[in-house]
Amino acid sequence: MRIINPTFGLAAAGGAKVALKPVNWATDAIALVSNSKPNARELLSGIRDKLGAFRGIDNIEFLSKNSASQPAPKDLLQEVAAKYRGALLAIAD
Amino acid sequence: MKDIAEQEVIDLDDMDVEAFNDFATEQGWSDGMPLYVPTEAKVAKFVDTVRGDNRPYPPVPPRQIVPTLQALAANAVMAGCKPEYFPVVTAALRGVLDHDYNLHGTLATTHSCAPMVMVSGPIRHELRINCGSNCFGQGWQANATIGRALGLMLLNVAGAKPGEMDRSTQGNPAKFTFCFGENEEENPWTPYHVQRGFAPTDSVVTVMSGEGPHNLNDHGSTSGDGLLTTFAGGMATPGANTIYGKGPMFVIIGPEHAATLKRDGFTIESIRQELYARSRVHVSRISAENQDTYISTGHKPDGDWFTIARAPEDIHITVAGGPGKHSAFIPSFGGTTVACTRIAR
Repeated sequence: MRIINPTFGLAAAGGAKVALKPVNWATDAIALVSNSKPNARELLSGIRDKLGAFRGIDNIEFLSKNSASQPAPKDLLQEVAAKYRGALLAIAD
Repeated sequence: MKDIAEQEVIDLDDMDVEAFNDFATEQGWSDGMPLYVPTEAKVAKFVDTVRGDNRPYPPVPPRQIVPTLQALAANAVMAGCKPEYFPVVTAALRGVLDHDYNLHGTLATTHSCAPMVMVSGPIRHELRINCGSNCFGQGWQANATIGRALGLMLLNVAGAKPGEMDRSTQGNPAKFTFCFGENEEENPWTPYHVQRGFAPTDSVVTVMSGEGPHNLNDHGSTSGDGLLTTFAGGMATPGANTIYGKGPMFVIIGPEHAATLKRDGFTIESIRQELYARSRVHVSRISAENQDTYISTGHKPDGDWFTIARAPEDIHITVAGGPGKHSAFIPSFGGTTVACTRIAR
């Protein structure tokens, strides 16, 4: 018998893959992005402290979404893309 | 040969319904209840019912694929819909694809939200959608299968697999199905879709990412004012997402309660105002730690009270159900909207 696949769909247009440049975690600017749930900031602070043991942390900065329930706004994504070479996202709680 | 996931039409050896259900479960297509077989012939009948709606679908998050009508119809067939229900299901899907509905967030959240589907207008009677006694419950094919079809689409097209993309801590029985009709005939005010600017003759689907209905029992109050005290008390719950997530909510008033409120001069607008003013949660009912969380996310108390809504307009009012002294409160996910879609016919 022939059935229709209930999961079938077409790839969305404009989904071209972006070539990622390598990140130098020892020196590059890094964004620590919180999903705005409790303890995300604490988790990221711990990571920043750990990184501080072997590199400078002046260019490691905290960012956050406006709301845990909403997608990251475009301006935040653009800021991360423009200013940082790497980003770490904390999904709490 | 293509992988099954890449094929729209799948050739299978002939099998009975039980064997098909085993196959579908292995593929991850099932909500756990038995499925009908989405044969090409059955799906074609469903697709024929939506010829009045030629707008392409946007990519469906989180999976971000553009569904074909056949794939959508396959889910409605599997859910047990009749072909004539399919335009209601596709309208509901368009509603959850509204940008402000925040489909990705509502599917991936740890909250228990499920898509509430409310049908308004003449199509309620044509399809025998239950708007009266037990309208949130079992016993009506249209209610049961329209809501289920949307749920299967979110599983199979959107990719909301429980425990994987769907991260709900406990889930909610409404995730199986949550569809009902407005009781416009016993609504002493304006039907909901007309409140939203549609014509009374339009048939409209309204969706909101909500919890299941919370009962508001009041057999004692004989005045509208008394009923609103009970409603507000039931709405003022510290555990609701909307106390800090902020967002819409529904109060679905039973016809007997609605008649009392109307008799005492209340309008939809005045009910909203009263419920907004009264459904506040005193700080003494919220732990100090949780208050810190609310405040740190920008939700400060008004004096000693946290509001349950941002404004009276967040409280959506309509009438459904049958005889009895019950109404219902349906809080939402918070970061979502109430989306209405006219059913294309």
